[in-house]
Amino acid sequence: MKRNFLSISVAGAVMALSSLTVLSAGSVASASSLTSVKFVYDFPGPDMEIIPVVVAQKEGFFKANGLNVSVEFPPTTSSTTQLLTTGSGDIGFITTSDMAVAVQAKAPVISVANYSMSNNWGLFAKPGSTLTLAALKGKKIFSWGDTWTNAMIPFVLKKAHLKASDITIVTGSNDTPLLMKGTIDFTTSTTNYAIPGITEATKSAPVGIVGAAAGVPNVPVWVYAVTHNYANQHGKNVRAFLKAIKAATIWASNHQTKAVADFMAAYPKSGYSKFYSTKGWALTVPLLTNAAGKYFVQTNKQWTTLATALKSVKLLKSVPAPSTYYTNKFLP
Amino acid sequence: MTKKKLLLNIFGPILSVVVLVGLWQAIVVWGNVAPYIAPKPWDAIKAVTSNWSTLAPLTWWTIKETVYGYLTGALLGAFLGVVLNKIPLMQRVLYPLLILTQAIPIIALAPPLVMILGFGVMPKVVIVAWIVFFPVTVSVLDGLNHVDKDLMTLAKVFGANSLRRFVVLEMPAAITQLFSGLKIGATYAVTGAIIGELAASSGSSLALYQRSASGSLDAAGVYGTTLIMTAIGIIWFLLVVGAEYLATPWQRRSTARQWRRGAKPVLTNN
Repeated sequence: MKRNFLSISVAGAVMALSSLTVLSAGSVASASSLTSVKFVYDFPGPDMEIIPVVVAQKEGFFKANGLNVSVEFPPTTSSTTQLLTTGSGDIGFITTSDMAVAVQAKAPVISVANYSMSNNWGLFAKPGSTLTLAALKGKKIFSWGDTWTNAMIPFVLKKAHLKASDITIVTGSNDTPLLMKGTIDFTTSTTNYAIPGITEATKSAPVGIVGAAAGVPNVPVWVYAVTHNYANQHGKNVRAFLKAIKAATIWASNHQTKAVADFMAAYPKSGYSKFYSTKGWALTVPLLTNAAGKYFVQTNKQWTTLATALKSVKLLKSVPAPSTYYTNKFLP
Repeated sequence: MTKKKLLLNIFGPILSVVVLVGLWQAIVVWGNVAPYIAPKPWDAIKAVTSNWSTLAPLTWWTIKETVYGYLTGALLGAFLGVVLNKIPLMQRVLYPLLILTQAIPIIALAPPLVMILGFGVMPKVVIVAWIVFFPVTVSVLDGLNHVDKDLMTLAKVFGANSLRRFVVLEMPAAITQLFSGLKIGATYAVTGAIIGELAASSGSSLALYQRSASGSLDAAGVYGTTLIMTAIGIIWFLLVVGAEYLATPWQRRSTARQWRRGAKPVLTNN
C-alpha cells in the first residue's frame, strides 16, 4: 500500500533513531511535567499519513494536553499490533483488517478511533491504460503482501467473476518502477498513495477503480489502537492523545502546506518528495471525516461489515460482536 | 572410528537440538508468552504438518531456487578460483571486484535483479549464486596457493605437464579448502533464496507465506515456516558434508585402499 518498502525501511530506521534523539534532547526541560507516550506507526518508515502526529508534536498540541509523544517505526508492516501487546508501544496505527485478525488471534487490542472513514483502496494502472474489472483476466497485479491487500483482492475477483488462478499476483516491495516498465499490469493501493506516486513518475494521473467500483466493502482503512491493559490503566493518556490528534488533524487539514512542511522538516530523509507528500495529504484530508463531518467515530456497522466481509473470504473464522473490536469512550 | 566416538557423533547433535527445543518450550511456558508472539515448539510443528498440502509446493520451489543457485555459484566460484590462480594478472584485477560484490548488501541487490530478470526463479538463482560463489572462490584460491612448491617442482622434473600437475597435485590439495567454501555457501544459500522471494515473487512462496502468517498474527505459521527454511539449509549442508566424506577419503585413511594402489587383494582362507 505504501511505496518503496526497502528504501523507506532504511530511512525509517534512521528517522526513528534521529527523531528519538531529537525528542529526548529537546524535551529534557519539560519531560518531568509531561506524560510519555510511545506511538507506533503502521509502516517501517514515515510518510504523509503520520502528519497529524507530527503536527501535534511540532505545533504543541501534545504538549498542551500534557503528553510527550515519541514515534516508533515497526520492523515490518505487520508488527505494530505485536509491539503494542509486548509493551514496546502504547498507541498504534493499524489497518482495520489488522485489528480484525488480531482479535481473532486473541491479541488484547482495541480500536479507539478511526483514522479514515471510508475505503479508498483499489486497483491502479499507468495513465492511458484500460483498467476495468473485465480486463483483469490473465493480468499481473501487484500486491504489497499486507493483510489489507490480501483481504481486498478476493472481493475484486468476486466482483469480476474471476478465480484466483485467472490472475497472477506479484508480491514485492516497490510497485511504481514495475508498473512503469510494464512488468506488472496493475497495482493495488489506496488513492492517497497511488495517485501521488504514479503522477510523480508519469506526470499524469493514473487510472483506477476504487472502493465499491472495485467490489470492496466500504469500511474505514486505518484506526488508532491500544491494548486493553493500556486503555484500562492509562485511559487518561488515550483521551489526551485523541484530543491532541483531533486538534492537530483539523489544523493540518486547514493548513495543508504548513502541515506538509512540518512533516518534511521532521523527516527530511523520508524518501518522499514535497510533491508526493503534498498531494498525498490533500487526498487524505477528505477521508478523515464521515458524512456528518465528524472525526474518529466508529460504528457497529463498520466493524460488522468488515468482519462479515473477511469471513466471506475466509480470513476470519467467525464474526464476533462489534464491541470486541472498538470503543468510542475515549473520543474527545 | 571408536564406538564411543560414533555414539557421540550421533547423539551429540540430537542432544543439542533437544536442549534447544526444551529451552524454547521453557521460555514460552514460563515466560507466559502469548501464542500470537511466539508459539510452543509443538504448535510450530503442527502448523507445518496441518498445512503441508499448501507448504509442500512452496518448499519444493524454495529447494529448487536454493539448489540451482548453489550449483551455479559453486561451479562459478571454483572456476574463478582456478582462473585467478593460473593468471596472476587476473587475480590482481578481479580480486578487488570480488570483494566489492560481497560488500553490496544483498537486500539492495534484489529489487534491481527483479526489474531485469522478472519474478520467476532467475533472480533467486542469481542471488543464491552471488552469495555462494565468493567463499568457494576464496577457498579454491587459497587451496591452490598453498600447494607444496617442492612437490610441484618434483612433478615438473619427472615430466608432468601442467594439466597432469593440476589433476594429480593441485586439485587434491585444493579440494579440502573447496569443501570449506562449499559448506559456508550451503548454510547461506537458503537465506539468499528467501531474500529473493521477499523482493518479488509471482504467485506464492515460503517467504510470502510467512509474511502473510505474520500479518495474521499466526506466530505458529511464522515459526513453522522458519523451521522448514532451517531444515532446507541443514539438509543441504549435510549433503555437502556427505559429498566431502566421499570425495576426500585421505582425511579418514592415511593410505589408499589396496585396489586404488593397483595391488591384488590378499585372499585368506580363514
